[in-house]
Amino acid sequence: MDKQKREFDLRSFARNNAVTIMFVVLCAICMAFSGQSIAYVIYELFGRLSRNAFIVLALIIPIVAGMGINFAITIGAMAAQISVLWVIEWGVGGVPGFLLAMAMTVPTAAFFGFLIGKLLNKMKGQEMIGGLILGYFANGLYQLLFLFIFGNLIPLKTPGLVIKGSTGVANTIDLTSGAGGGIKYALDGIWRTDFGTALYVVCALIAVIVIVLLALRKLNVRKGGITLAVLAACCLLYQIPAVAGLFSMVKVPVVTFGVVALLCLFNVAIMKTRLGQQFRAVGQNRVVANASGINVDHVRLIAIVISTVLAGWGQLIFVQNMGAFQTYGAHEQVGLYAGAAILVGGASIRKATNKQAILGCILFHLLFIVAPPAAKFLFGDAAIGEYFRVFISYGVIAMALVMHAWSGVQKKKKAYPGPEALDPTPGTRKGARVFFV
Amino acid sequence: MTQSKTKRIIALVLAVMGVVLLVLGAVNLPKREAQVGQNILEKLRIRTLLDATGEGVVESYVAIAKKEATAAAKAAGGGMSAIREAVAKAEEETRAMYSSTSTDYSAIDTAALEVAVDGYAVALKAYEDERAATEQAYIAANYEATKAALEKEREEKIAAGQDVPEEMVVSVDMSGFTATEVMTALSAKADEAYAGVGEALKGIYPVMDDSALNTLKGTIANIVYQAGDDFTSQYDRYVQAGSNAALESKTAAFIVRYADDLIYGGVALLVAALAVLFSELLIAKLGIPRVIIGLFFILLCFLSLLYDLSLSTLLSNTIVRMGMNSIMVLAMVPGIQCGIALNLGLPIGLVAGLIGGLLTIELGIPGWGGFLFAIVVGVVIAAVAGWLYAQLLNRLKGEEMGVTTYVGFSIVSLMCIAWLVLPFKSLKLRWPLGTGLRNTIGLDSTNFRHILDDLLAFNIGGFTVPTGLILFMLLMCLLVWLFSRSKTGVAMQAVGNNPRFAEATGINVDKMRVIGTMLSTMLGAVGILVYSQSYGFMQLYTAPRQMGFIAASAILIGGASTTRCKISHVLIGTFLFQGVLTLGMPVANVLVPGSTISETLRILISNGIILYALTKSGGASRG
Repeated sequence: MDKQKREFDLRSFARNNAVTIMFVVLCAICMAFSGQSIAYVIYELFGRLSRNAFIVLALIIPIVAGMGINFAITIGAMAAQISVLWVIEWGVGGVPGFLLAMAMTVPTAAFFGFLIGKLLNKMKGQEMIGGLILGYFANGLYQLLFLFIFGNLIPLKTPGLVIKGSTGVANTIDLTSGAGGGIKYALDGIWRTDFGTALYVVCALIAVIVIVLLALRKLNVRKGGITLAVLAACCLLYQIPAVAGLFSMVKVPVVTFGVVALLCLFNVAIMKTRLGQQFRAVGQNRVVANASGINVDHVRLIAIVISTVLAGWGQLIFVQNMGAFQTYGAHEQVGLYAGAAILVGGASIRKATNKQAILGCILFHLLFIVAPPAAKFLFGDAAIGEYFRVFISYGVIAMALVMHAWSGVQKKKKAYPGPEALDPTPGTRKGARVFFV
Repeated sequence: MTQSKTKRIIALVLAVMGVVLLVLGAVNLPKREAQVGQNILEKLRIRTLLDATGEGVVESYVAIAKKEATAAAKAAGGGMSAIREAVAKAEEETRAMYSSTSTDYSAIDTAALEVAVDGYAVALKAYEDERAATEQAYIAANYEATKAALEKEREEKIAAGQDVPEEMVVSVDMSGFTATEVMTALSAKADEAYAGVGEALKGIYPVMDDSALNTLKGTIANIVYQAGDDFTSQYDRYVQAGSNAALESKTAAFIVRYADDLIYGGVALLVAALAVLFSELLIAKLGIPRVIIGLFFILLCFLSLLYDLSLSTLLSNTIVRMGMNSIMVLAMVPGIQCGIALNLGLPIGLVAGLIGGLLTIELGIPGWGGFLFAIVVGVVIAAVAGWLYAQLLNRLKGEEMGVTTYVGFSIVSLMCIAWLVLPFKSLKLRWPLGTGLRNTIGLDSTNFRHILDDLLAFNIGGFTVPTGLILFMLLMCLLVWLFSRSKTGVAMQAVGNNPRFAEATGINVDKMRVIGTMLSTMLGAVGILVYSQSYGFMQLYTAPRQMGFIAASAILIGGASTTRCKISHVLIGTFLFQGVLTLGMPVANVLVPGSTISETLRILISNGIILYALTKSGGASRG
C-alpha cells in the first residue's frame, strides 16, 4: 500500500515537472560533451545568475494575477535603457549614477506599465500574445526615440553616444563612458568577494535570523534546527579542498545577490498583504473576484506596473554587469529568455514561485553556457548550439502554453460533457474559460 | 452638436484653402509653356549668361589695362619696380571698377543678345534632343546583350559560390557610339547660332574676342539648354545661379514654378476637408486604424508628388510587392474562416515551401518544371505539417493565437538547426567554406527567378507590368473564393462563425478546422515561393519568423477581423500595407537622409494593427 502510493507520487511528480526534469537531463548531457571544467561553468553561472535572476523574478506577480507571462517586460527594459542613456549623458557615475538610473526608471516604467495594463485589460485571455506584440510595437517607438529624437532633436554631448555622419544614438552604449566614469559594475563592484567569504557571511546572517526567531518563539525548534544543521553542513562541505576548488574562480557580487534576495522577500511579503490576496483572487477567477467586490482591472493594472518597474531595475542590473549594451537589441530578447527561464523552473502560466524562478534561471543559463561547446563537439558547429538554445526558449514557452491550454480544455470537457462544451459561442470564445469554471 | 459645428467649420476652411490653391495652380500651370513663362526664363537666362560671361570679360579688361599700364610706365621711363607697381595698381583699379559695375545690368542693351540666344536655344535643343534620342536607341539596341553578359557572369559567380549583389545594374558601354549625319548637321547649325550669340556679346563687351568665346562655349551651352530641360529645371538652374534679381515679380515667377505643387496641395486639402467632414462615417465604416493608414497612404502619395518623386514608379513597385506578398496574406483567409483566428503559425507553411525551393535547386530542375516541382513538394510537406498542426489546434480551441505564435517560432528555430545540418550538396545553396546553407540563396534564370514576374510581362511608360504575377495572384484569389462557395467551404465558414450551431447542424467541426488549417499552411508554402521568385532570393534561418505577422497585419488592414474576412480584404490590405512601405522609404529618405525610418514604420504599422485587432477580439468586460 505504502509502496504503491510512493510510486504514484513519483509518477505525478515526474508529470508535473516534466520540463524541469527534461532540462536537467539536457544540461547533464550537454555538460558531459561540452568539455568545460566544472569550475569554469560555475563561475559563468554565478555571473549570469547575478545579472539575470532579478528580471526573471519580476515575472511572478503578473503570473499570480492571472495574466500569464508578462512579455511586455521588454518595455520595462526599454525604460531602463532610456534612463541609462541620460545618466551617462549627465556624467553621473558610480553608485550615485546607478541610484539615479533606478530612480528615473520608476516613473517612466510605471507610466509605460500603466499604458500596458490599460491595453491588456482590453484583451483579457490574450495577454501573452498581446504583451509580445506590444513589445514589438514599443520597439518601433523606441527606435523612433533613439534614432530620430535623441541625438537629433535633443542633442547629446557625450562623445561615443552619437556617431558622426549617422542619425541617432550609436549602436552600442558603453557604460564606462561619460564624465562620471560610467556605471559599469556600480552595483557589483560595491562588495565583491570570493565564494568562501560570501558563503560564511550568508550562513551567519541566516543563522542569526533563525536564532532570533527561535528566541522569539516564532519558529518551531525542529525547523530551526534543521536549517542550522544545513548551514553548518554547507560551511563544513566547503572545507573539503575539492569542493572549494570548484568555486575557486567565483567572485560573488554580494550586493547584487542581496538585491535579488530582497526581491524574493518582496514577492513573498506582497502576497501576504491585502493587495497580494487580490492578485491571487483575480488570478484564480476574474468573475468571482469581481463579484466579491474587487476592482479586477485595477488590480491587474497594479500587477503590470510593479512588474514593469521591477523589469526595468532588472535590466539596469543586467547592463551594469555587462558594461555595455546594444542600443537597439539589448531589450528584444529579455521577455523571451526570462519567460522561458521561469517555465523551465517548473512554473506554469498560472502558478509561479521564487524557487521556480531561481531554479529555472540556473537551469536555463546552465544550458546557455554548455550548449554551444557541446554542439561544437557533437556537430562541429557552435552555431547549432546557439540556434538550439533559441529553439529551446521558444519551444519551452510553446509547450507550456500547449499544456496549459490542454488542461483548460480538458477541465471544460469534464465539467460540461456533450457538444455544448466543445466550443462556446463566438462572442464569448476568448473569455470562455471563466464562464465554464 | 458644437463638435460637429467645429468640424464643419474646419472642413470649410480647409476646402476654401484647397480651392484657392487649386485655382492658383491651375491658372499658373499653363503659363509655363505660354509667353509669360518664356519671358521669365528669358530674363533669367540672359542674366545668368551675362554673369557668366562678365567674369571672362573682366579678365580681358584686366589684361588690357595691364598692357596699357606697362607701356605708360615704360614711356615715363620708370624702372622695373615702378612698372610692377603700375601694373598692380592698374589691375586693382580695373577689377574694382568692373566688379562694382558688373551688377548694373540695366545700362546694357540686351535686345540683340536676346534674339541671338533664343535662336541658339532652339538650335541647341534640336541637337541635344536628337543626340539623346540616338543614344537611347543605341542603348536599347545593346541592352539585351549587356544584360545577358551580366547575367551570365552573375550565374557563374553563384555557381562558383561567390556572393552576388542583390540588385543587378545594367549599364551599356557607350564607347562604341558614334554621331550620326543628322547630329553633325544639327551640331553645325547650333555652332552657327552660337556665332550669332558671340557677335551679340561682342556688341556688349567690346573686349570679348574669339578665344574667350571659345572658352565660354561649354558654359554658355550648359546655361542655355541641357538635355531634357523643361520650365522647372531651367528655372531651378537659373535661380540657383542667383539670377532672380533680374525678375520684376519674383512671387509671380515662383507661383508659376510651383504651380503643380499648388495643385497637389489644393487637392490634398480638399481630401482632408472631405475626411474631416465625413470622419464619423469613415471611422464607423472602416475603423480608426484603417482610416489612419488609408489617409497616411494618401499623404505619402502627395508627399512623393511634392518632392518630385516618380509616383507612377512607386505605385508600380507597390503592385509588384503586392503580388509578391498576396498569396501569403491569402493564406490567412482559410484560417480565419475555419475559426483558428489569425494563423500566426504560418512559418510552418513557409518553411515547407522553402524546402521545396531548395530541392528544386539541389536537383537542378530548370524553369517552369522546377517552379511547379517546388510548389508540389512544398504543398505536400505543408499538407502533412498542417495536418499535424491542426491536430494540435483542435485540442486547444480558443487558445490558438498564443500557441500558434510560439509553435511557429519554435519551428523556425528548429529549422535554423536543420538548415545547418541538412545534407544539401549544391554550391548555390551551401557556404563555400564552413557548414550549412547560406542565409540568402540567390536565384538565377536556370531556377525560377522572376518566372511569374516575367510571364507575359510588357512595358508601359517605362515600367514593366508583371502580368504573370498579377494573374497568378488573381487566380489564387479566385480559387480560394470558389472554395469558400463550395459545400465544404460554406460548412467551414459555419464552423468559424458559430461552432455550436455548426455542431448542431451535423457538421464535423474538427474536420472543418483541419481542412482550414491545412489549406492555410499549404497556401503559405505557395506564398513563400511566389515571394522568392519575385524577390530573386530565398531567405532562410530567422527570416520567416516575422512573415506571419506581416501577412496577418496586411489582412487586418484590409478590413478583416480575427473572425471574419473576405478576399477583398486581402487585396486592399496588401496594397495599402505594401504601398505605405514602398512609398514610405523614398519619402522618409528625403525628409531624413539615410534613415531606416521605413523599417520602423513597418514595425509600428504591422504590430499596431494586430494589437488593435486583439483589443477588438478580447473581452473588454471586467470579469
